[in-house]
Amino acid sequence: MIWTVAASLLGLMALSIPVGIVLFILGIGVGEFYSAFPLLRGLGQVVWSSSSSSTLIAVPLFVLLGEILVRGGVAARTYAALDKWLSWLPGGLIHANIATATMFSATSGSSVATAATVATVAMPQAEKLKYDPKLFSGAIAAGGTLGILIPPSINLIVYGFLTETSIPQLFSAGLVPGILMALAFVVVTALICKARPALGGPSRSFTWGERLRSLVQLVPIIILFVVVIGSIYAGWATPTESAAIGVVIAALIAVTLGNGLGLATIAEALHGTIRISAMIMLVIAGAYFLNFAMTSAGLGRALTELLENTGLSPLGTLLLVVLLYLILGFFIETLSLMVATIPIIVPIIAGLGYDKVWFGVLMIVLIEMALITPPVGLNLFVVQSARAKGSMNEVILGVIPFVLVMLCMVALLIAVPGLALWLPSIL
Amino acid sequence: MSRIETLEGALRRANRLVALVLGVALVGTVLFVLIDVIGRKTGWGSLGGSDEISGYVMAAVASWGLSCALLDRAHVRIDLIRQKLNDTGQGLMDIFAMIVTNGVVLLIAYQCWPVLQKTIERGSRANTPLETPLWIPQGIWFAGWAWFALSATALSLIGIAYFARGKRAQLANTIGLGSELDQ
Repeated sequence: MIWTVAASLLGLMALSIPVGIVLFILGIGVGEFYSAFPLLRGLGQVVWSSSSSSTLIAVPLFVLLGEILVRGGVAARTYAALDKWLSWLPGGLIHANIATATMFSATSGSSVATAATVATVAMPQAEKLKYDPKLFSGAIAAGGTLGILIPPSINLIVYGFLTETSIPQLFSAGLVPGILMALAFVVVTALICKARPALGGPSRSFTWGERLRSLVQLVPIIILFVVVIGSIYAGWATPTESAAIGVVIAALIAVTLGNGLGLATIAEALHGTIRISAMIMLVIAGAYFLNFAMTSAGLGRALTELLENTGLSPLGTLLLVVLLYLILGFFIETLSLMVATIPIIVPIIAGLGYDKVWFGVLMIVLIEMALITPPVGLNLFVVQSARAKGSMNEVILGVIPFVLVMLCMVALLIAVPGLALWLPSIL
Repeated sequence: MSRIETLEGALRRANRLVALVLGVALVGTVLFVLIDVIGRKTGWGSLGGSDEISGYVMAAVASWGLSCALLDRAHVRIDLIRQKLNDTGQGLMDIFAMIVTNGVVLLIAYQCWPVLQKTIERGSRANTPLETPLWIPQGIWFAGWAWFALSATALSLIGIAYFARGKRAQLANTIGLGSELDQ
């Protein structure tokens, strides 16, 4: 059953049928061919219960939060402020790219929006200051991926919902690896620019007065992050409640420190939020139905057989899964890749005795890589579209050092699971 | 302007309006949840039910929003084989994907009806302090799927009409592969 489903999944997706629809077709197929009783009758009830969820409404709320910050012009000002603090490092502005991407990922939970914003603001600066376009644009594309690992991450909410894993635990598990990866990006950039100074632009230093004044822009974003994440960890608020509070703070920041929020901006932000959320929800409903169908059709039995027949050790199977994501990541985009594979992969991994929270973080790092590996790497296209000239190949070359950092993180997470599991264990 | 284009324009305007209404409902949910949290923290007492109501809003967003995303070509499709084809090949693949989508959506909408029907027959209420009559949220939710099915059917017909008349650019704009870069 598992192989047939996996092969049909890839085949139907290759025919360019929308991913969410493919998952529904597979669920219906499993019900027809593998189940003793008709599952189609349960379809309506499954769709209703998968969507009427007060947990999932955190998804559109976090999307809205990000839309407000980006369309309200807050991101652009943060970039300028971070530049004052970080451009003394070898590599100059590149660090501001990474730091802005990290901060916005930490508040908005959307990789593409983050990469698009930083790219739009940063590219003109890069040309003026004569940076090497490869490393500069590569850093934006890679930095933008941190958004789905550093909480509040929409991908982690979806993972938690579909695998029945605690979302606060997933959030705390993603924090340490996320920050480590951001730091590793900065260190790698500094080392590269130290070795080949031609790649980075001029190191610039600003006075402490300029830096302190820029705090006006930075502090509110940090407060937003602390309130949204802190209230979840401290147990004051559910992820949904903290998202609602975050939306209000984001709106206040946009009005006081950004470009303000006109009616047109608000309407655009709302329209964008509905579009993105509905796209996510179709995929979730499909995966939920496929989950239901596979469980009803005796996934447990098929799974035991599969694991007994492969003859691989648990670690061997895990490495096979990692390899699978690396390959699929070249062709399939983040959330679709994640949601489509959860019903098949997570039961296998959990069956081997691995922790679901830990695997959630590992999966996110693997999926981040999918965002910046060609030929289908969404962030590569986003950054390229913000560039006035030059070829896509420059961006692709520029992300190579960051892809290597991600591979190291995957190895590190497998070798030291505590990296992800330590923080949830003490909270 | 041909009749097809008029129809497409009307469908687009209707779905923009739907998105706006959903957006406003989302803002309303934000305020409701916020008041609930403040009430609980300050000890003024909670209104209660913010969990339940936000679940209903989510169901509405997750059904009515689907057709908005369809019109914006936001549902994710994998462009692996399609990008290697010429214009005609791409148009055929777009129409094929649209018709398959249409069929599945019609089936789902059809299967969603019994959920609402049973609720109405039994007069079911939510098992919560609000005792919400469930036909209200489920009615809104089912109407969203029906609207999605209607929009998908209209788009399939519009796509076929554009293809038959050789209007490849309009075809790509209506049911082609969207990109997040356009937004």
